[in-house]
Amino acid sequence: MANVDLEQRDLQAAATSHRGDRVFNRAITAAAFVSLIVLAGIAIFLGAQAVPVFQQLGFGFVTSTAWDLNSDPISVGIFGMLYGSVLLAIVGLVIAVPASLLLSIFIVFIAPKKLASILTNSVDLMAAIPSVILGLWAFYILNPQAAEWQSLLHDYLGWIPFFQNESGNFLGTPFIAGFILAIMIIPITTSVTREVLGRTPPELINAAESLGCSLWTMLRYVALPYGRGGIVGGIMLGLGRALGETIAVFFVLKLVYDTNWYHVIESGGGSVATLIVSRFGEASGPFEVQLLLAAGFFLFLMTLGVNMLANLIVSRTGRLKK
Amino acid sequence: MTTTFDPASLPSLEQQTKTRPWRQRTTKFDVSVAIAVAVPMMIVIGMFLFSDIPGALVLVIYLPLQMFASGCAAVATKGKRGILDSVIIVNAVGASIFTFVIIFSVLWSLVSKGLKALSIPFLTQNSTYISPSTPLEYGGMAHAALGTLIVVAISALIAVPIGIATAIYITEVRGKAVPYVRFFVQSMSGVPSVVAGLFILTTLILTGAINTSAFAGGLAYAVLMLPTVARTAEEVLRLVPDDLRTGALALGSTRARTVLQVVLPAAKTGIVTAIILGIARVIGETAPLLMTSGKNDATVANPFSDPISTLPVSIFENVAQPYPDAVTRAWGAALILMVLVAILFTVARLLGRNKIK
Amino acid sequence: MSTAEFEQSVVALEQEFSVPAQQGPVELEARDLSVWFNSRKVLEGVNLAFPKNTVTALIGPSGCGKSTFIRTLNRLHELLPGAALAGEVLYEGEDIYGPTKDPVHIRLSIGMVFQKPNPFPSMTIRGNVLSGLKLSGMKRSNHDEIVEQTLISAGLWNEVKDRLGHAAGELSGGQQQRLVIARALAVQPHVLLMDEPCSALDPASTLKIEETIRELSKDITIVIVTHNMQQAVRVADYTAFFLAAENEPGRVIEQGRTTEIFGNPQDQRTLDYVNGRFG
Repeated sequence: MANVDLEQRDLQAAATSHRGDRVFNRAITAAAFVSLIVLAGIAIFLGAQAVPVFQQLGFGFVTSTAWDLNSDPISVGIFGMLYGSVLLAIVGLVIAVPASLLLSIFIVFIAPKKLASILTNSVDLMAAIPSVILGLWAFYILNPQAAEWQSLLHDYLGWIPFFQNESGNFLGTPFIAGFILAIMIIPITTSVTREVLGRTPPELINAAESLGCSLWTMLRYVALPYGRGGIVGGIMLGLGRALGETIAVFFVLKLVYDTNWYHVIESGGGSVATLIVSRFGEASGPFEVQLLLAAGFFLFLMTLGVNMLANLIVSRTGRLKK
Repeated sequence: MTTTFDPASLPSLEQQTKTRPWRQRTTKFDVSVAIAVAVPMMIVIGMFLFSDIPGALVLVIYLPLQMFASGCAAVATKGKRGILDSVIIVNAVGASIFTFVIIFSVLWSLVSKGLKALSIPFLTQNSTYISPSTPLEYGGMAHAALGTLIVVAISALIAVPIGIATAIYITEVRGKAVPYVRFFVQSMSGVPSVVAGLFILTTLILTGAINTSAFAGGLAYAVLMLPTVARTAEEVLRLVPDDLRTGALALGSTRARTVLQVVLPAAKTGIVTAIILGIARVIGETAPLLMTSGKNDATVANPFSDPISTLPVSIFENVAQPYPDAVTRAWGAALILMVLVAILFTVARLLGRNKIK
Repeated sequence: MSTAEFEQSVVALEQEFSVPAQQGPVELEARDLSVWFNSRKVLEGVNLAFPKNTVTALIGPSGCGKSTFIRTLNRLHELLPGAALAGEVLYEGEDIYGPTKDPVHIRLSIGMVFQKPNPFPSMTIRGNVLSGLKLSGMKRSNHDEIVEQTLISAGLWNEVKDRLGHAAGELSGGQQQRLVIARALAVQPHVLLMDEPCSALDPASTLKIEETIRELSKDITIVIVTHNMQQAVRVADYTAFFLAAENEPGRVIEQGRTTEIFGNPQDQRTLDYVNGRFG
């Protein structure tokens, strides 16, 4: 468009260049603010849906746990879902963070070049698998495996409160959902961590080598402290992804309108995003849709906060590509 | 008196052979490593074959066993200070194997189960009159594949120009708001996909502005695609050397002209990569489409009028059905989706490689 | 500076520092050392001996392999991709590349100071001095004593004794370089390799470091790469001149006592170089 405009003005290019530039600049600047408009739009429109919900239900909407629209008065609260999202994310991070750190250490400091590049590509491939496919895989392949692992955890480590299971049902647990989240977090966190560790200044590594370091002491005293900010940022980005993930969790988690505080291998848990998807199809009317939109508003606030924090941390520790 | 270099020594120096003594391993080292690898492996295989300890538990026992064995080998060869190194290495190798196993398992199950569904009708027919219990010979996913392509094309038409313009604002126009724009773009990349769906639902569909349709789905996808395109395009434009810009400006070109006719063409392949990565980011997203484009058993070509089926939604619909054929359909749809993603990434990779050269 | 003046200053310096007339026992020695990166030979047939508790300067134009040479002396060379070598490096009479030698022990005995000051940014001043103990896993109880002793030796104690807990990044470039020297000394090396330690520093800091080097040479053997010929004259007992002809590996053209190299070189190229006629 702008291109054609400029062609026509060719002869007067010198005279009108400023004007042409002004038009161009305005168009570009307007486009650049679309992201702000969308973010503000999400906040305003979903927020607007949350207002009447709050008027009717008060703070009970975020502090109680229930989903019953037939009772009088109706009892609805998403605390268990908000908490469930966090619990799943924590389970995911507990698995993904050590795995990502070890993977990037292996890629950057241990593996021969060829193997390192194969691994890097594999991790990228992992990031490219759509979550609906991971969910499908988790439902049919991971579930039976994970049930076995969990019953072992229960048999041998059942005395730890986290690994209690009274129902004997090991399917649809927060552990399985967290595990699938971990598979999505690993590529995100690994790519940031790998980048950060790879940027450890060679002069610091030289200094450490000349002081007789081992791999462990070099990591412990030089590389990890140097990349700390970036690593934390990478973990937060993974956390943001985990909090917002919907469909894979929907496939494997048995959604219960109750708060599962810490029984990670007990069937049943909560997640805001999953609640929205599972109720959306069978919503009983406009009010239930409104409730779901309000839940979406809180999910948005939660992930936005985590992501902003992550980006601040990453950008403060020096510009990272990607 | 000083000593000077003796040229007579040159011939003998010519015959010196290169060595890399630091790579030579002592027998002690080799033997220790061999024992440290073989013994835990034998114990585990033994447990697997001759005891009734569950297989999964044997695997769990293996890791600490391997760490212990490697720790012993480290003490034997390098002394106490090697222990932690060996623990790190064992775990790092373990994490890598874990990654490979997951990827292999996902891809293998996709291929082995998905191929069962693939047939000419599966790739060419739609699902009209098909219920979950209908045998596999009837019906297909062509309507869903078409739906995915339409939705993705719409989202690309919207998000790509805006994303590239955002990148141009950051790298070329360099306005005052650059840090803020970057911040918003990064924050936007963290918007959960389900929230993007809800956003379009509440602003446009529930208000009656547009129908549940491919267009609505495309808008929701565009929300997710925009930040990816903008961030990748920004990286790519940064790689364009400043000389090109100053050169064009020095020839009397306007800034707009410089960007459109010099900078963007120079970054052409990179821009294509940005577009592809943006498409790959959204193509498998399911939740937003459930809310915006819905599902339809028939083939739909009009992007504005009716609900339309897409591959992710078709997978979603067929998972957990009690009929094996429905589940196989889900795997088949997943395989088609994965192939689409693989094609996109391969093209992006190939283009990316050219860019570096 | 004219040649006559220069020679005068050499003589004056010689008297001031009283170079040991008799060569002491050799601490570190390179024999027929040749070094490669992949197929490119960068050093050929280097024979150099470093007597105990002396300072040896390695001079020569850029790209003649001096830095590569000192990196082979404490086995840092092998960390670079494509590195290879021939010949041997004897430390206390034994080849440091021998099959039973542990590079960690070699590096602890033969310390290194780099061109750019590289204190660990995440550590305090005190933490930096003690970092070698942590990195190598040495157990010492007298940490305070080590910090004070090495900072005194490096000539930094008075400037930092009140802010040992501060970040190392607060220090000036010259102070950072002395901190790095203190860090290298804390593991009690017998040899200290210095790769152009003053090239990134101002003249005042350079002078301080040179004083430190003279002071240290009473107890340890120092090998210093320098581009600054006055510096070689000021600090070094012995000097070796490296030169690489076009497309040829670097060689030691001439070596001997500093006074001889600068006052009475045998090789025309050395004469040209020390008089600033090329390089």
